[in-house]
Amino acid sequence: MSSDYEFSDDDGDYYDDEDMVDGTQEEESEDDMDMDAFGEDFKVVPKGKHKAYEVEYDSLSQAAVEKLMKQDVDHICGIFGVDVSTANLLLRYMKWNKERLIEKYMDNPTTMLVAAGVVVPEASSQPAPAPIRTHSSTSSSTTRRPTRATSKLLALASGSKSAKSPSVSPVSPPSSFYIPKSLKPKVEEPFVCPICFDDDTSIQTLALDCEHTFCFGCWTAYAGSKIRDEGEHSMRCMAEGCALVAPDHFIRSILIPEPGAPVGDTSQEAENKKTWDRFQELLVRQFVACNNNLKFCPYPSCTNTVSCPSAASKASLAIVVPTVSCGARGLGPQATSQSQTEGGLGLPGKEHMFCFGCPIESDHRPVVCGVARMWLKKCRDDSETANWIKSNTKECSHCQSTIEKNGGCNHMTCKKCKHEFCWVCMGPWSEHGTAWYSCNRYDEKTGVDARDAQSKSRASLERYLHYYNRWANHEQSAKLSLDLYAKTEKKMEDMQITSALTWIEVQFMKKAVEEVDKCRMTLKWTYAMAYYLAKGNQKDLFEDNQRDLEKAVEDLSELLESPIEAENIPTLRQQVTNKTVYVQKRNEIVLEDTANGFVEGRWRWNVTVEGFDDPEFAD
Amino acid sequence: MDARLRRVNKEIADCKNDKTSNIRIELIDESPFHLKGSFPGPDGTPYEGGHFEVDIVIPESYPFQPVKMKFITKVYHPNISSASGAICLDILKDAWSPVLTLKSTLISLQSLLCSPEPNDPQDAEVAKHYSTSKSSFEDTAIYWTQIYAGGPGPKEKKGKGLSRSDVRDEVAIAGLEKAHVDQFEALGFQRSKVIDVLRRLNYRGANVAQITDDRVVEELLK
Repeated sequence: MSSDYEFSDDDGDYYDDEDMVDGTQEEESEDDMDMDAFGEDFKVVPKGKHKAYEVEYDSLSQAAVEKLMKQDVDHICGIFGVDVSTANLLLRYMKWNKERLIEKYMDNPTTMLVAAGVVVPEASSQPAPAPIRTHSSTSSSTTRRPTRATSKLLALASGSKSAKSPSVSPVSPPSSFYIPKSLKPKVEEPFVCPICFDDDTSIQTLALDCEHTFCFGCWTAYAGSKIRDEGEHSMRCMAEGCALVAPDHFIRSILIPEPGAPVGDTSQEAENKKTWDRFQELLVRQFVACNNNLKFCPYPSCTNTVSCPSAASKASLAIVVPTVSCGARGLGPQATSQSQTEGGLGLPGKEHMFCFGCPIESDHRPVVCGVARMWLKKCRDDSETANWIKSNTKECSHCQSTIEKNGGCNHMTCKKCKHEFCWVCMGPWSEHGTAWYSCNRYDEKTGVDARDAQSKSRASLERYLHYYNRWANHEQSAKLSLDLYAKTEKKMEDMQITSALTWIEVQFMKKAVEEVDKCRMTLKWTYAMAYYLAKGNQKDLFEDNQRDLEKAVEDLSELLESPIEAENIPTLRQQVTNKTVYVQKRNEIVLEDTANGFVEGRWRWNVTVEGFDDPEFAD
Repeated sequence: MDARLRRVNKEIADCKNDKTSNIRIELIDESPFHLKGSFPGPDGTPYEGGHFEVDIVIPESYPFQPVKMKFITKVYHPNISSASGAICLDILKDAWSPVLTLKSTLISLQSLLCSPEPNDPQDAEVAKHYSTSKSSFEDTAIYWTQIYAGGPGPKEKKGKGLSRSDVRDEVAIAGLEKAHVDQFEALGFQRSKVIDVLRRLNYRGANVAQITDDRVVEELLK
């Protein structure tokens, strides 16, 4: 078996080569190169030293965010001496702005509690729960139903406030069950639920502290509708104009009834459980949305959150490109099952990379958010297609068909309507008389202007297309990376069969593919950046770096596509490894230099970019 | 029994039994979830004497989601779209409460007619008209009430004859395009008849594309 020999030989080469490479480059990228392929699964967040183009961030699971929320809640509980559910409602009402909450609460606790829907307004100070209605104030008096028992409400309001706190405070939501006050059967009068008009004497009824009583089923349906359909995390009392908000334990008690309660059908129970989970998620989402330091992972069905304080302000986005990863991999539980066939390698296991600063759901380094957004908008607008049509075509003055003149004389005959006209002045050809083939009917001045305008628009179009084509090319290649991954995996298997290399020893292919994919992303966005960079030395340097990277990436791509034969595996392996390291290095340089440029304020644009000085049109 | 169906049936029955409120709810077809409500225009307003009809659609998750209501009768009002009859009212949106009923909502609509809210308009044109010249707005509202809602028409207090600019105004007040009226008048029909037919067909806005010329002519020949 010749491969035995080759294998050991190759092995030696490989490590020699590694050492050699190590000697010539800075140490920082070294461990990325080889060990990452195996250690990456464990490495979630880059810790310690970070490069100029990286931002510091933390990835948090839903539980971790809940912990953060709990800290805030506990803090508020400690200061105000209120129970957990009250603190929760207050914080949610104030969008988790603790400072403002403390300030306002200290100012007037009662107003705050009423506004947050924790307590019913006192009858004396606030007459009736102020209906939040914009018009038709007169109707509220006419529409009042007898069941609303307004007088009872007002009478109870003052009394219930004092009696309220003890009844709620000892409850800690997840462990114990809340026993609603009015669960005890009512004897005085037959109860008719004002919503479903159910008058069954056995129905369970519930009410918040405002004593607006409804049947259990209506409460559950209401919670389902609010939470599942509307995605609402705050659930007001169902009575019209009542601003009391249902606390968490109340919602829990209607969705997950205590064991002794009459059992509904099990499918309903599962649905309610889902609603409760959704409710918890909505609360986390609200907390994340209110906090500038946090962002929810945009990947489907991922529930992780990323904390990145260094990119929280708008101004910082002109300096850093906050590419973050939520720490999770893959496409979530539902999505992975169908893409499982792709194997453990490739996209299904890809990190959830996204930009913290803007809605672009991928890594758009090295270009900053503002420019990336502008570029995408430009490409999406399709305005350039119109531009092309404008600069290359004219419309038949008779039937309005768009005509491209691709040669020949100025005597045009519309293919569609057979209208004959002059390409230069667009007038009908019949009026040209004897002046065949040279139109002198066109005003000289306007003729020159028109030509100027057309050539200018053509030049800018060509410039755009130059950048766009390259951008799109890399995007296309990145999209094909799934195929490339699959192909590479096949190759790696072949290699293991033909060359007796072990699994771990063929990983260099996977590493190379990943690197190519990563560099193509960088390259793609460098074209967006170059399009907007103002002419000058800085742009030249940038484009030099870009060219070097592109060259290296294309070389490596070619190597990866080359056929595998048993005898050339050692050389291929050496070449690929070499190139991978080189490509990685070039990528580092582009990213590092661009990032430093942002910090130093070195880049100048040819358009106005949010967060930057206006472009200098002088040069 | 389905809670929604039980509730709607009860609401319809309640409304039938209530003779004092003047609010009526009737079925449009067999489904109890697509109804037609109607009420008289409130006294002391330009809508007095009119009879206003409202299209009611009851959503799947009623009463936890608000009912969908829009005016069938054309109403000239800042918070009601003069083209589609869409209503801008908080209780039909976020201020909805499950204890509100079809009847109470219709009463709210009735009271919306009493108290327009031009600062939160549904129909910007009408709202502008309302804020710039209230009396002119009221004239149009009375006219619309007369034409579309069967109202008594302009009160005699003005003392003006109907001669001055009525021919032109008739087109404008009816909410039609002069070009459309001219188009059919040119075919040899009487102007007043054209206006009458186009108004009946609601020949305006997006509707124009849906109504063929043949259909209009057919109506005119009747």
